[in-house]
Amino acid sequence: MRAVLATCLWVSTALGTNAALAAYTPRVAYLLHCSGCHLPDGKSNPPEVPDLRGELGRIVAVPGGRDYLARVPGVSQAPVSDQELAEILNWVLQRFNAKTLPVDFTPLTGKEVGRSRRNVLKDPLKHRAALWERYESSRK
Amino acid sequence: MTLNDAMGKVYGWLDTRTNAASRQLARHTSRRGFINRMGTLLVGAGVLPLLPVARAFGAEGLSEIGDPQSCDYWRYCAFGGTLCSCCGGSLTSCPPGAEPSPITWVGTCHNPADGKNYLISYNDCCGKAICSRCFCHRTEGDRPVYFPSKSNDIIWCFGTESHAYHCTLAVVLSEATEA
Repeated sequence: MRAVLATCLWVSTALGTNAALAAYTPRVAYLLHCSGCHLPDGKSNPPEVPDLRGELGRIVAVPGGRDYLARVPGVSQAPVSDQELAEILNWVLQRFNAKTLPVDFTPLTGKEVGRSRRNVLKDPLKHRAALWERYESSRK
Repeated sequence: MTLNDAMGKVYGWLDTRTNAASRQLARHTSRRGFINRMGTLLVGAGVLPLLPVARAFGAEGLSEIGDPQSCDYWRYCAFGGTLCSCCGGSLTSCPPGAEPSPITWVGTCHNPADGKNYLISYNDCCGKAICSRCFCHRTEGDRPVYFPSKSNDIIWCFGTESHAYHCTLAVVLSEATEA
């Protein structure tokens, strides 16, 4: 699972006429920017492409987890506004991780996501290793 | 009346009826006419899918105009590669012997038949040597390869047994509904 997190690149795959022009519903934006690798149902193709179902709900409960989700290179570089990115992340969390999401979960905001995505992960592997230690101990 | 006489009458009656029915059939049908109609049916069935007429795809349920074997077809607005519909496959299925890549890239194209935008998934079919027919390169929204997630020059044969590229599909995922 460490390898899965280490390779967690939320690849955005937007091509086409309206990708940069229109604001889509969160579901359509997910299909456009994320489903190319993570598939429409979030099942993905582990271990190369990590599964989005279940695990993310636990990750947001760990200190730094919310911040991390918006800093994953594929997420932070997605060609969408901060607000749209927050809506996509919230949609993924609520749609694919409803069972594992903390009961006191509050949706990510555009401002919060904007701050996180501008804080570029210069050494993603190192950062993920530290986060993963916290994540593993939270599960014990 | 003996049994032989009775059987002879039955056979005679059958013979007469069969003879009359055959003549009736021959008078009202033409072998050349039959061959003509059969030929029209066979050739027509082959040509019909190529005609630029509106057709409904049951699986995807939308009306479309155009020729899926032409680069101008609406679904190919950001297409880079060879058309599977020219290579023994279709818009949504790989040719025999090729495997669709689960990893793909997604774009949006405008459907002139209904005036709506749709999400198009360009899945590569992999595991066979490249099909050299119908190469298309359209670049709406395309970016240089140093921005790989938005470059249609990338071969997306990931998650398949072989990385050999054969051709590309154009599957409609959903209507691109705006918020």
